[in-house]
Amino acid sequence: MSRLIEKRTVDMQVIGEWVEPQSRVLDLGCGRGELMDYLVQAKQVSATGVDLDFDRISACVRRGLSAYQGDMTSFMRAFPDRTFDRVICSRTAQELDDPAGVIFEALRVGSAVTVGFVNHGFWKNRLGALFRGRKVRNAVYTTAWHESRPANPLTIADFEDFCAEKSIRVGRRAHLLGDWRTPCPFLPNLFAGYALYDLALA
Amino acid sequence: MTDDVQAPPASEPRHLAGDDVGIVQSRDFVHAGPFTFKSGQVIQGFTLRYETYGALNATRDNAVLICHALSGDHHCAGWHSGSDAKPGWWNNLIGPGKAVDTRRFFVICANVLGGCQGSTGPSSADPATGRPYGITFPFVTVRDMVISQKLLLDHLGVAELHAVMGGSMGGMTAMMFAMEYPQFTRRQIIMASTANESAQAIAFNEVGRQAIMQDTAWNNGDYARDGGPRVGLAIARMMAHITYLSDAGMDRKFGRRKRESAGGESYTFDAQFEVESYLRHQGQSFINRFDANSYLYITRAIDQFDPARASGSLEQAFAPVRGESLVVGFTSDWLFPPGQNRAITLALLRAGKRASYAELDTDLGHDSFLLESEALYALVRGFLERNETYVFDFAI
Repeated sequence: MSRLIEKRTVDMQVIGEWVEPQSRVLDLGCGRGELMDYLVQAKQVSATGVDLDFDRISACVRRGLSAYQGDMTSFMRAFPDRTFDRVICSRTAQELDDPAGVIFEALRVGSAVTVGFVNHGFWKNRLGALFRGRKVRNAVYTTAWHESRPANPLTIADFEDFCAEKSIRVGRRAHLLGDWRTPCPFLPNLFAGYALYDLALA
Repeated sequence: MTDDVQAPPASEPRHLAGDDVGIVQSRDFVHAGPFTFKSGQVIQGFTLRYETYGALNATRDNAVLICHALSGDHHCAGWHSGSDAKPGWWNNLIGPGKAVDTRRFFVICANVLGGCQGSTGPSSADPATGRPYGITFPFVTVRDMVISQKLLLDHLGVAELHAVMGGSMGGMTAMMFAMEYPQFTRRQIIMASTANESAQAIAFNEVGRQAIMQDTAWNNGDYARDGGPRVGLAIARMMAHITYLSDAGMDRKFGRRKRESAGGESYTFDAQFEVESYLRHQGQSFINRFDANSYLYITRAIDQFDPARASGSLEQAFAPVRGESLVVGFTSDWLFPPGQNRAITLALLRAGKRASYAELDTDLGHDSFLLESEALYALVRGFLERNETYVFDFAI
């Protein structure tokens, strides 16, 4: 199993612990449906995914999952408040056009919102920037700038500030070290490689 | 639906190539008892002409019902004879090893009630008079088409539909099957369709009907089998045909190219541009295979289709649905555009149903559902063939 796939699995396990069995889950940026597949198997959730890419939707359909090709904000606008028990936005946060808009719309259609992101304040990312003087490239961000989608890198400190400023209630946090497995005991903005937040409206 | 999305037959006779269902025969299903339409009107029995490919399994639950569009018919795959110029209209999708795999599924397609390709419709003889029904034929709805086809499926011994699928009006038929027979319908694929036509789409149908009805040869629907409003029907078809294509697609296919015979500047109203002769040809070939009254009835059925109005909301209309839905939209379809296909999916999801939406970027307009596209095949195959007790893996 490659390092990247292992990391993805860890991400699934943390989210899996937060998801209630048999709940209604919406996965924003669902990709090929790996996470939904895991949650359906492990937690018997009823899952729906949204993604922009035809082939990814096709892969979800092949796995037996419900998936919708389109813009996530327009999708959420089509649903009444609290349609979903949990909206998940993992590894997508840094690529959103309007992150605050998406998170607030998710907080409307979902009773809880899980946001997961790579912490760009992680010491390796800081040292990389300092000494290499180049865009972050690692097991998750494998491509050069010119082959990458536009990204809006964020840090744990940025996200904490955002939640405080917007009065978003943080139910749970998971800060994981660079192995994306071991909980980070202190200074998460420096020592955590990946962060997961469980949000709700205050 | 246009006639020409598929590639012309290769130099070697395609029906011998072994990659499709080969030579097929149509059959007739005769329902002898009275049939009451949604309008309350009754006919004393009807016939549906249909074709099947593949075999029904022992548990009688591997049937896939194909639903045709306005001008389509029951001949959706294979060849009627070695001299046919073209195979059935969805031959690219249906066959051994294809997206709708006839080695795995028992594929059924019937000409709709009200049609003119062998099923009972306005051009059929009214047993009471011995003359064609004409416009005394009962008004047909998509629901009547569905109920009559369910009788055929019962006759064939189908216990449960593995899937029902179609494009355009065929998508409406698939939706109606899911609503009318939820216990019977496990999956539905709805392509390039709508849960209710826009004013623009109704308007196009109305112009087509007026072209037919204003032709004096229509004679209130009372005309001889080979006669009738041939000019009106051809014009209706020419105009409708434009709505099945797209601006970019027509530009790619015809551009401003002129016919060879047109020369340079020619000051006549003869067909000069290729697109003109193409449309004239489409109109002419249509009148040889389609009945003008059937055109009126079926376009009316499409216009009337509006499950939301009948049930109060689309969510309520979809409430009985049990099977899973796959809805497919096409970017260049301006007749039943992506937004109307998205609306079907979103209403299904709001109603708590399992539904997916995928959208293909094409320039073939409304007719894109007939597209030869590996991406579309993979999607359809994935939806039809996924194993319900699949093995979990982390393959990415």
